[in-house]
Amino acid sequence: MKCKRCRRAEAAVDLPSHHSAFCPDCFFVFFQRQVKEGIRRFRLLSPSDRVLVCVSGGKDSLVLWDVLMTLGYETEGLYIDLGIEGYSERSKEKVLAYAAARGKSPIVVDLAKEGIPIPEASRCARMEECSVCGTVKRYFFNRVAAEGKFTVVATGHNLDDEAARLLGNLLHWHRDHLSRQHPFLPDAGEGLVRKVKPLWRVSELETASYGFLKGIDYITEECPMSEDATSLVYKEALSLIEDQMPGTRTVFYQGFLDPENPLRKGPEERYWRSAGAVEEGEAAEGAGDPRACASCGAPTYADVCSFCRLRERVRQRRERRAGGAS
Amino acid sequence: MRWMIRVRIPQKKKELEIPGPRRVMDILAQAGVRPTTVIVTQGKKLLTKDHRVEDGETIDVISVVSGG
Repeated sequence: MKCKRCRRAEAAVDLPSHHSAFCPDCFFVFFQRQVKEGIRRFRLLSPSDRVLVCVSGGKDSLVLWDVLMTLGYETEGLYIDLGIEGYSERSKEKVLAYAAARGKSPIVVDLAKEGIPIPEASRCARMEECSVCGTVKRYFFNRVAAEGKFTVVATGHNLDDEAARLLGNLLHWHRDHLSRQHPFLPDAGEGLVRKVKPLWRVSELETASYGFLKGIDYITEECPMSEDATSLVYKEALSLIEDQMPGTRTVFYQGFLDPENPLRKGPEERYWRSAGAVEEGEAAEGAGDPRACASCGAPTYADVCSFCRLRERVRQRRERRAGGAS
Repeated sequence: MRWMIRVRIPQKKKELEIPGPRRVMDILAQAGVRPTTVIVTQGKKLLTKDHRVEDGETIDVISVVSGG
Protein backbone atom coordinates (compact mmCIF):
# COMPACT_ATOMS: atom_id res chain seq x y z
CA MET A 1 0.00 0.00 0.00
CA LYS A 2 1.38 3.41 -1.01
CA CYS A 3 1.16 6.54 1.12
CA LYS A 4 -1.98 8.46 0.12
CA ARG A 5 -0.26 11.80 0.72
CA CYS A 6 3.11 11.64 -1.05
CA ARG A 7 2.08 8.67 -3.27
CA ARG A 8 5.69 7.52 -3.39
CA ALA A 9 6.73 5.84 -0.16
CA GLU A 10 5.30 2.64 1.26
CA ALA A 11 2.55 3.28 3.85
CA ALA A 12 3.27 2.37 7.47
CA VAL A 13 0.00 3.46 9.08
CA ASP A 14 -3.43 2.77 7.60
CA LEU A 15 -6.31 4.77 9.00
CA PRO A 16 -9.68 3.54 7.71
CA SER A 17 -11.42 6.18 9.83
CA HIS A 18 -9.72 8.86 7.67
CA HIS A 19 -9.88 6.80 4.43
CA SER A 20 -6.13 7.18 4.38
CA ALA A 21 -2.71 5.59 4.80
CA PHE A 22 0.60 7.33 5.44
CA CYS A 23 4.32 6.72 5.24
CA PRO A 24 6.16 7.68 8.47
CA ASP A 25 7.09 11.23 7.36
CA CYS A 26 3.61 12.03 6.07
CA PHE A 27 2.05 10.49 9.18
CA PHE A 28 4.06 12.88 11.39
CA VAL A 29 2.66 15.80 9.36
CA PHE A 30 -0.89 14.40 9.62
CA PHE A 31 -0.62 13.76 13.37
CA GLN A 32 0.84 17.15 14.23
CA ARG A 33 -1.85 18.85 12.15
CA GLN A 34 -4.54 16.96 14.06
CA VAL A 35 -3.10 18.12 17.38
CA LYS A 36 -2.72 21.69 16.12
CA GLU A 37 -6.32 21.70 14.94
CA GLY A 38 -7.44 20.32 18.31
CA ILE A 39 -5.61 23.14 20.07
CA ARG A 40 -6.92 25.79 17.67
CA ARG A 41 -10.57 24.65 17.78
CA PHE A 42 -10.99 25.41 21.48
CA ARG A 43 -8.01 27.73 21.99
CA LEU A 44 -6.48 25.22 24.39
CA LEU A 45 -3.04 26.84 24.39
CA SER A 46 -1.42 30.10 23.45
CA PRO A 47 2.25 30.63 22.50
CA SER A 48 2.89 32.46 25.79
CA ASP A 49 1.69 29.56 27.95
CA ARG A 50 3.93 27.68 30.35
CA VAL A 51 2.59 24.15 30.00
CA LEU A 52 2.82 21.51 32.73
CA VAL A 53 2.56 18.18 30.90
CA CYS A 54 1.46 15.28 33.10
CA VAL A 55 3.49 12.24 32.06
CA SER A 56 2.90 8.68 33.24
CA GLY A 57 5.43 6.85 31.07
CA GLY A 58 2.65 5.60 28.80
CA LYS A 59 2.38 6.34 25.10
CA ASP A 60 -0.20 9.13 25.22
CA SER A 61 1.48 11.41 27.73
CA LEU A 62 4.98 10.99 26.29
CA VAL A 63 3.68 11.57 22.76
CA LEU A 64 1.82 14.65 24.01
CA TRP A 65 5.02 16.05 25.53
CA ASP A 66 6.92 15.25 22.34
CA VAL A 67 4.39 16.94 20.05
CA LEU A 68 4.04 20.03 22.23
CA MET A 69 7.83 20.45 22.23
CA THR A 70 7.89 19.96 18.45
CA LEU A 71 5.18 22.61 18.08
CA GLY A 72 7.33 25.03 20.06
CA TYR A 73 5.48 25.26 23.39
CA GLU A 74 7.35 25.90 26.63
CA THR A 75 6.82 22.68 28.57
CA GLU A 76 7.87 20.87 31.72
CA GLY A 77 6.95 17.30 32.61
CA LEU A 78 5.28 16.26 35.87
CA TYR A 79 5.60 12.62 36.90
CA ILE A 80 3.61 11.35 39.88
CA ASP A 81 5.06 8.17 41.39
CA LEU A 82 1.91 6.32 42.45
CA GLY A 83 3.75 3.88 44.71
CA ILE A 84 2.58 0.79 42.81
CA GLU A 85 5.22 -1.86 43.35
CA GLY A 86 7.22 -2.63 40.21
CA TYR A 87 4.96 -0.77 37.80
CA SER A 88 5.79 2.67 39.21
CA GLU A 89 9.55 2.05 39.06
CA ARG A 90 9.35 0.88 35.45
CA SER A 91 7.14 3.75 34.30
CA LYS A 92 9.33 6.29 36.09
CA GLU A 93 12.41 4.91 34.30
CA LYS A 94 10.68 5.48 30.95
CA VAL A 95 9.84 9.08 31.82
CA LEU A 96 13.31 9.91 33.12
CA ALA A 97 15.02 8.29 30.11
CA TYR A 98 12.75 10.14 27.68
CA ALA A 99 13.33 13.46 29.43
CA ALA A 100 17.10 12.99 29.78
CA ALA A 101 17.44 12.29 26.05
CA ARG A 102 15.85 15.70 25.40
CA GLY A 103 17.76 17.62 28.05
CA LYS A 104 14.73 17.84 30.34
CA SER A 105 14.37 17.11 34.01
CA PRO A 106 10.76 16.39 34.99
CA ILE A 107 9.21 17.39 38.29
CA VAL A 108 8.67 14.20 40.33
CA VAL A 109 6.09 13.82 43.10
CA ASP A 110 6.55 10.66 45.19
CA LEU A 111 3.26 9.64 46.79
CA ALA A 112 5.00 7.29 49.24
CA LYS A 113 6.94 10.27 50.57
CA GLU A 114 3.73 12.30 50.64
CA GLY A 115 2.24 9.56 52.85
CA ILE A 116 -0.43 8.54 50.37
CA PRO A 117 0.67 5.77 47.97
CA ILE A 118 -2.32 4.68 45.86
CA PRO A 119 -2.61 0.98 46.85
CA GLU A 120 -2.55 1.74 50.58
CA ALA A 121 -4.74 4.83 50.25
CA SER A 122 -7.30 2.81 48.33
CA ARG A 123 -7.38 0.07 50.98
CA CYS A 124 -7.58 2.55 53.86
CA ALA A 125 -10.27 4.71 52.27
CA ARG A 126 -12.15 1.68 50.91
CA MET A 127 -12.35 3.38 47.55
CA GLU A 128 -11.51 2.11 44.06
CA GLU A 129 -7.89 2.67 43.10
CA CYS A 130 -8.73 4.68 39.97
CA SER A 131 -10.98 6.99 41.99
CA VAL A 132 -8.28 7.59 44.63
CA CYS A 133 -5.71 8.07 41.89
CA GLY A 134 -7.89 10.71 40.20
CA THR A 135 -8.35 12.69 43.41
CA VAL A 136 -4.65 12.61 44.25
CA LYS A 137 -3.51 13.48 40.72
CA ARG A 138 -5.89 16.45 40.43
CA TYR A 139 -4.60 17.80 43.72
CA PHE A 140 -0.96 17.66 42.64
CA PHE A 141 -1.69 18.98 39.13
CA ASN A 142 -3.08 22.14 40.73
CA ARG A 143 -0.47 22.37 43.47
CA VAL A 144 2.58 21.87 41.22
CA ALA A 145 1.13 24.22 38.60
CA ALA A 146 0.57 26.94 41.22
CA GLU A 147 4.00 26.47 42.80
CA GLY A 148 5.79 26.47 39.44
CA LYS A 149 3.72 29.34 37.98
CA PHE A 150 2.48 27.22 35.10
CA THR A 151 -0.46 28.70 33.22
CA VAL A 152 -1.97 25.43 32.07
CA VAL A 153 -1.93 21.68 32.79
CA ALA A 154 -2.02 19.32 29.79
CA THR A 155 -2.96 15.64 29.98
CA GLY A 156 -2.67 12.91 27.34
CA HIS A 157 -6.35 11.95 27.12
CA ASN A 158 -7.08 10.91 23.55
CA LEU A 159 -10.15 10.38 21.38
CA ASP A 160 -10.69 6.82 22.64
CA ASP A 161 -10.49 7.92 26.28
CA GLU A 162 -12.97 10.72 25.76
CA ALA A 163 -15.37 8.70 23.61
CA ALA A 164 -15.34 5.89 26.22
CA ARG A 165 -16.02 8.40 28.99
CA LEU A 166 -18.82 9.92 26.94
CA LEU A 167 -20.40 6.51 26.36
CA GLY A 168 -20.24 5.75 30.09
CA ASN A 169 -21.76 9.11 31.00
CA LEU A 170 -24.54 8.63 28.46
CA LEU A 171 -25.34 5.06 29.47
CA HIS A 172 -25.79 6.18 33.06
CA TRP A 173 -27.25 9.59 32.18
CA HIS A 174 -24.68 11.44 34.25
CA ARG A 175 -25.98 14.80 33.09
CA ASP A 176 -23.73 16.77 35.43
CA HIS A 177 -20.66 14.89 34.17
CA LEU A 178 -21.75 15.33 30.55
CA SER A 179 -21.99 19.06 30.98
CA ARG A 180 -18.40 19.22 32.21
CA GLN A 181 -16.79 16.79 29.76
CA HIS A 182 -14.65 18.89 27.46
CA PRO A 183 -11.01 19.15 26.23
CA PHE A 184 -10.88 22.63 27.80
CA LEU A 185 -11.57 23.32 31.46
CA PRO A 186 -11.00 27.01 32.12
CA ASP A 187 -9.01 28.53 34.94
CA ALA A 188 -11.39 29.01 37.87
CA GLY A 189 -9.00 31.20 39.84
CA GLU A 190 -7.84 30.54 43.40
CA GLY A 191 -5.22 28.06 42.15
CA LEU A 192 -7.56 25.95 40.00
CA VAL A 193 -5.48 26.10 36.85
CA ARG A 194 -6.76 25.63 33.29
CA LYS A 195 -6.68 22.00 32.14
CA VAL A 196 -6.51 20.91 28.53
CA LYS A 197 -6.47 17.68 26.50
CA PRO A 198 -4.67 18.49 23.23
CA LEU A 199 -4.88 14.89 21.92
CA TRP A 200 -8.69 14.84 21.87
CA ARG A 201 -8.77 14.44 18.07
CA VAL A 202 -6.32 11.52 17.78
CA SER A 203 -7.00 7.87 18.53
CA GLU A 204 -4.97 5.51 20.70
CA LEU A 205 -3.85 3.70 17.59
CA GLU A 206 -2.54 6.97 16.18
CA THR A 207 -0.65 7.94 19.35
CA ALA A 208 0.84 4.43 19.59
CA SER A 209 1.89 4.59 15.93
CA TYR A 210 3.40 8.05 16.41
CA GLY A 211 5.28 6.94 19.52
CA PHE A 212 6.61 3.82 17.82
CA LEU A 213 7.72 5.62 14.65
CA LYS A 214 9.36 8.42 16.66
CA GLY A 215 11.27 5.83 18.69
CA ILE A 216 9.66 6.88 21.97
CA ASP A 217 10.26 4.10 24.48
CA TYR A 218 6.99 4.05 26.43
CA ILE A 219 5.70 1.53 28.95
CA THR A 220 3.41 -0.97 27.20
CA GLU A 221 2.24 -2.84 30.28
CA GLU A 222 -1.06 -1.72 31.70
CA CYS A 223 -1.38 -0.27 35.20
CA PRO A 224 -2.21 -3.31 37.39
CA MET A 225 -4.75 -1.22 39.27
CA SER A 226 -6.80 -0.54 36.14
CA GLU A 227 -7.43 -4.15 35.07
CA ASP A 228 -11.11 -3.94 36.02
CA ALA A 229 -11.60 -0.32 34.95
CA THR A 230 -15.05 0.21 33.47
CA SER A 231 -13.54 2.47 30.81
CA LEU A 232 -12.04 -0.67 29.25
CA VAL A 233 -15.54 -2.12 28.76
CA TYR A 234 -16.68 1.04 26.99
CA LYS A 235 -13.53 1.06 24.86
CA GLU A 236 -14.15 -2.55 23.89
CA ALA A 237 -17.72 -1.75 22.85
CA LEU A 238 -16.60 1.26 20.81
CA SER A 239 -13.78 -0.66 19.08
CA LEU A 240 -16.29 -3.33 18.04
CA ILE A 241 -18.35 -0.61 16.34
CA GLU A 242 -15.25 1.16 14.96
CA ASP A 243 -14.02 -2.02 13.27
CA GLN A 244 -17.32 -2.36 11.42
CA MET A 245 -17.95 1.35 10.85
CA PRO A 246 -14.64 3.27 10.76
CA GLY A 247 -14.92 6.88 11.88
CA THR A 248 -17.91 6.34 14.18
CA ARG A 249 -15.91 7.15 17.31
CA THR A 250 -14.84 10.50 15.85
CA VAL A 251 -18.40 11.40 14.82
CA PHE A 252 -19.67 10.36 18.25
CA TYR A 253 -17.27 12.55 20.24
CA GLN A 254 -16.98 15.49 17.89
CA GLY A 255 -20.77 15.59 17.57
CA PHE A 256 -21.00 15.78 21.35
CA LEU A 257 -18.64 18.78 21.39
CA ASP A 258 -20.72 20.64 18.81
CA PRO A 259 -21.88 23.86 20.53
CA GLU A 260 -25.33 23.26 19.06
CA ASN A 261 -25.63 19.89 20.78
CA PRO A 262 -28.63 20.15 23.14
CA LEU A 263 -26.75 18.07 25.74
CA ARG A 264 -24.28 20.92 26.07
CA LYS A 265 -26.96 23.58 26.50
CA GLY A 266 -29.33 24.52 29.27
CA PRO A 267 -28.62 24.83 33.00
CA GLU A 268 -25.73 22.38 32.91
CA GLU A 269 -23.89 24.38 30.29
CA ARG A 270 -24.28 27.53 32.39
CA TYR A 271 -23.11 25.58 35.42
CA TRP A 272 -20.11 24.30 33.50
CA ARG A 273 -19.18 27.81 32.48
CA SER A 274 -19.46 29.16 36.01
CA ALA A 275 -17.80 26.21 37.68
CA GLY A 276 -14.67 26.63 35.59
CA ALA A 277 -12.04 24.03 36.21
CA VAL A 278 -14.28 21.75 38.24
CA GLU A 279 -13.91 18.17 37.12
CA GLU A 280 -16.01 15.09 37.70
CA GLY A 281 -14.28 14.13 40.93
CA GLU A 282 -14.76 17.54 42.46
CA ALA A 283 -18.16 18.18 40.96
CA ALA A 284 -20.27 16.53 43.64
CA GLU A 285 -18.83 18.81 46.25
CA GLY A 286 -20.83 21.85 45.35
CA ALA A 287 -20.82 24.77 42.99
CA GLY A 288 -20.13 28.43 43.57
CA ASP A 289 -16.72 29.99 43.90
CA PRO A 290 -13.70 27.97 44.98
CA ARG A 291 -12.32 28.71 48.43
CA ALA A 292 -9.23 27.70 50.38
CA CYS A 293 -9.22 24.27 52.02
CA ALA A 294 -9.33 24.68 55.80
CA SER A 295 -6.57 22.12 56.14
CA CYS A 296 -4.05 22.74 53.33
CA GLY A 297 -5.20 25.96 51.69
CA ALA A 298 -5.65 24.35 48.29
CA PRO A 299 -8.66 25.49 46.23
CA THR A 300 -11.82 23.50 46.88
CA TYR A 301 -15.59 23.74 46.68
CA ALA A 302 -16.00 22.14 50.13
CA ASP A 303 -14.66 23.21 53.54
CA VAL A 304 -11.87 20.63 53.39
CA CYS A 305 -10.59 19.44 50.01
CA SER A 306 -11.11 15.84 48.89
CA PHE A 307 -7.35 15.20 49.01
CA CYS A 308 -7.06 16.25 52.67
CA ARG A 309 -10.12 14.19 53.59
CA LEU A 310 -8.54 11.19 51.89
CA ARG A 311 -5.20 11.73 53.58
CA GLU A 312 -6.92 12.02 56.96
CA ARG A 313 -8.72 8.70 56.42
CA VAL A 314 -5.41 7.04 55.57
CA ARG A 315 -3.78 8.54 58.65
CA GLN A 316 -6.62 7.42 60.95
CA ARG A 317 -6.57 3.88 59.56
CA ARG A 318 -2.80 3.72 60.06
CA GLU A 319 -3.16 4.86 63.66
CA ARG A 320 -5.88 2.28 64.34
CA ARG A 321 -3.70 -0.43 62.84
CA ALA A 322 -0.69 0.69 64.86
CA GLY A 323 -2.85 0.78 68.02
CA GLY A 324 -4.21 -2.70 67.32
CA ALA A 325 -0.73 -4.06 66.75
CA SER A 326 0.73 -2.66 69.99
CA MET B 1 9.82 -29.11 9.75
CA ARG B 2 7.84 -26.35 8.03
CA TRP B 3 8.66 -22.67 8.68
CA MET B 4 5.74 -20.70 10.07
CA ILE B 5 4.96 -17.06 10.91
CA ARG B 6 5.81 -16.37 14.55
CA VAL B 7 3.30 -14.01 16.20
CA ARG B 8 4.27 -12.54 19.55
CA ILE B 9 1.66 -10.83 21.74
CA PRO B 10 3.80 -9.64 24.65
CA GLN B 11 1.10 -8.00 26.77
CA LYS B 12 -0.84 -11.27 26.81
CA LYS B 13 2.39 -13.25 27.24
CA LYS B 14 1.27 -15.29 24.25
CA GLU B 15 3.04 -16.59 21.18
CA LEU B 16 1.47 -18.27 18.13
CA GLU B 17 2.74 -19.96 15.01
CA ILE B 18 0.60 -19.49 11.94
CA PRO B 19 1.24 -20.86 8.42
CA GLY B 20 2.08 -18.19 5.85
CA PRO B 21 2.09 -16.28 3.68
CA ARG B 22 -0.75 -14.29 5.21
CA ARG B 23 -1.89 -10.69 5.48
CA VAL B 24 -1.64 -8.94 8.86
CA MET B 25 -5.43 -8.54 9.05
CA ASP B 26 -5.90 -12.29 8.54
CA ILE B 27 -3.31 -13.09 11.19
CA LEU B 28 -5.11 -10.79 13.63
CA ALA B 29 -8.46 -12.43 12.84
CA GLN B 30 -6.95 -15.86 13.47
CA ALA B 31 -5.44 -14.62 16.75
CA GLY B 32 -8.79 -13.14 17.79
CA VAL B 33 -7.46 -9.58 17.96
CA ARG B 34 -9.46 -6.57 16.73
CA PRO B 35 -7.39 -4.49 14.28
CA THR B 36 -8.21 -1.08 15.78
CA THR B 37 -6.86 -2.14 19.18
CA VAL B 38 -3.28 -2.95 18.16
CA ILE B 39 -0.26 -1.89 16.17
CA VAL B 40 1.73 -4.62 14.43
CA THR B 41 5.48 -4.25 14.23
CA GLN B 42 8.40 -6.10 12.69
CA GLY B 43 11.68 -4.89 14.15
CA LYS B 44 11.65 -1.12 13.63
CA LYS B 45 8.92 -1.30 10.99
CA LEU B 46 5.24 -0.65 11.51
CA LEU B 47 3.08 -2.88 9.31
CA THR B 48 -0.20 -1.93 7.64
CA LYS B 49 -3.07 -4.37 7.96
CA ASP B 50 -2.78 -5.48 4.33
CA HIS B 51 0.95 -6.22 4.59
CA ARG B 52 1.80 -9.80 3.59
CA VAL B 53 3.90 -11.71 6.11
CA GLU B 54 5.98 -14.64 4.88
CA ASP B 55 6.81 -17.93 6.55
CA GLY B 56 9.84 -17.66 8.83
CA GLU B 57 9.12 -14.03 9.75
CA THR B 58 8.29 -12.76 13.24
CA ILE B 59 5.82 -10.02 14.05
CA ASP B 60 4.82 -8.34 17.33
CA VAL B 61 1.24 -7.40 18.13
CA ILE B 62 1.17 -4.50 20.62
CA SER B 63 -2.06 -3.47 22.32
CA VAL B 64 -2.77 0.27 22.21
CA VAL B 65 -5.63 0.22 24.71
CA SER B 66 -5.00 1.87 28.04
CA GLY B 67 -7.44 1.87 30.93
CA GLY B 68 -8.09 3.86 34.06
